[in-house]
Amino acid sequence: MFSNLEFFLIEALRSFRRGALMSLVAIATISVSLVIFGLFLLLVINLGNIVGTVSSRMDIAAYVEKDISLEEAGELQLKLGKLPGVEKVEFISKTEAWRNFKQEFGTKLELDDIMTSNPLPHTFSVKVRTPDLLPAVAKQVSNFQLIDEVRYSGKFIDQIRTLVDAVRLGGAALVVLISFATLLIVVNTIRLTVLARETDISIMKLVGATDTFIKWPFIIEGVILGVLGGLVSFIVLKFSYDAIILRVAAALPFLPLVADQRLLAVIHLVMIVGGTALGMLGAYISVSRVLKSEV
Amino acid sequence: MIELVNVSKSFSNGVDVLFNISLNIGKEEFVFIVGPSGAGKTTMMKLLYREEMPSSGKVIVDRVNVAELDYKQVPYLRRNIGVVFQDYKLLPKRTVLENVAFALRVTGAPRSTIRRKVMQALELVGMLRRVNAFPDELSGGEKQRACIARAIVNNPPILLADEPTGNLDPTTSWDIIQLLDKINRRNTTVLVATHNKSIVDSMKRRVVALENGRIVRDQLLGGYGV
Repeated sequence: MFSNLEFFLIEALRSFRRGALMSLVAIATISVSLVIFGLFLLLVINLGNIVGTVSSRMDIAAYVEKDISLEEAGELQLKLGKLPGVEKVEFISKTEAWRNFKQEFGTKLELDDIMTSNPLPHTFSVKVRTPDLLPAVAKQVSNFQLIDEVRYSGKFIDQIRTLVDAVRLGGAALVVLISFATLLIVVNTIRLTVLARETDISIMKLVGATDTFIKWPFIIEGVILGVLGGLVSFIVLKFSYDAIILRVAAALPFLPLVADQRLLAVIHLVMIVGGTALGMLGAYISVSRVLKSEV
Repeated sequence: MIELVNVSKSFSNGVDVLFNISLNIGKEEFVFIVGPSGAGKTTMMKLLYREEMPSSGKVIVDRVNVAELDYKQVPYLRRNIGVVFQDYKLLPKRTVLENVAFALRVTGAPRSTIRRKVMQALELVGMLRRVNAFPDELSGGEKQRACIARAIVNNPPILLADEPTGNLDPTTSWDIIQLLDKINRRNTTVLVATHNKSIVDSMKRRVVALENGRIVRDQLLGGYGV
């Protein structure tokens, strides 16, 4: 078996070198397909991330009209924080709210001239763990006696949630489709390198080579093509995404692009492993088809 | 060694090639298969190494009905049958040495064995001087010698030669036939399909004549014509 392995490797490298142009075409095809796949994957991940970030900003506003002391407020804040599903509770006193309001609009209006007293209520801003907890938590918050009014944008949340689901589902479906298309392209490209050696294959069969024996050099060649294609796509994707992040950070700073290095490393790994798997599978499918067509 | 029992062959396009052929070839025989082009010589040979399947009848090689052979067993059948072609079928980008070694490589033989057997085969066919030449650099006769070396390197009990002299001049053809005769005398059953009349006539060996897919003559020590 060891001498066979050596033979397979030599044969694969030989074929790779001999069909240099074809090999380059195959590598380029694999890289381009993987780059498109990778960019699409990043797009889907980022869309999910943007939608997720937006929906995680959703919180419940609970208003207290009555003038309460800081102690009362603190006590209520603690109680609200203990409700199931609540992540964080923030207290914004009416004075603070008024100050914020004035800061935001005060330059345009002389508010103190119009208003003699502070019209704003105390506010508890309640953050929930997931958007779908909002209605239940809001109901519990409104049960507190001190609280006069509870507000959250339920309809908006529903729409966001539908959007998140659609992006995830559609994204997953498209990722599957694009993987399939990539596989088809790679199979057909490698098929050309196999077809170029059809005579060799028929002679191998005539002298008594088993199908497995014939397949190995092609599969190894496919793996070489796949690894190289995967590496090229990894490099292209890494540099282009880094450039995109820089541009977006400068032009649209509010867009939360995914820059988590660990997640990106996983995607890059997927590129290389995917390329290898594609090359191997492509070679296997192509050579099996050629072998089957001969008696 | 080889037995055909009521073998017929029609191709899927409806062309009938062989009709009810029965033939028995013993161990270490030397047999010429003669007949005009299209008589079915090539098809008959292809049946023996399972390049074609018979439409009916039995094709027995070394006690095995190759028509019933499992697909996975076909490579092992072929290792026991050396085949020589009119167009040589050498791998163009490999040297003579590599071409001959190739037939042993696929059997997974160890390297030392391969080297020894390849050298023996090349010596037998008189090609030791040309081991590092590529097929393009060889004359027709040399290519055929290389092809024969590849066919016998594995010491198969059977050697099939389909028009081995079809592309060669008379002198070279004669050399090749002498070589096949030499191999036959080393205990190999040899079948030669040919329409080279002078060779068949002067060799005085068993002759099986095919015409329109039927055996019309089977004669020991025969000639090309009646």
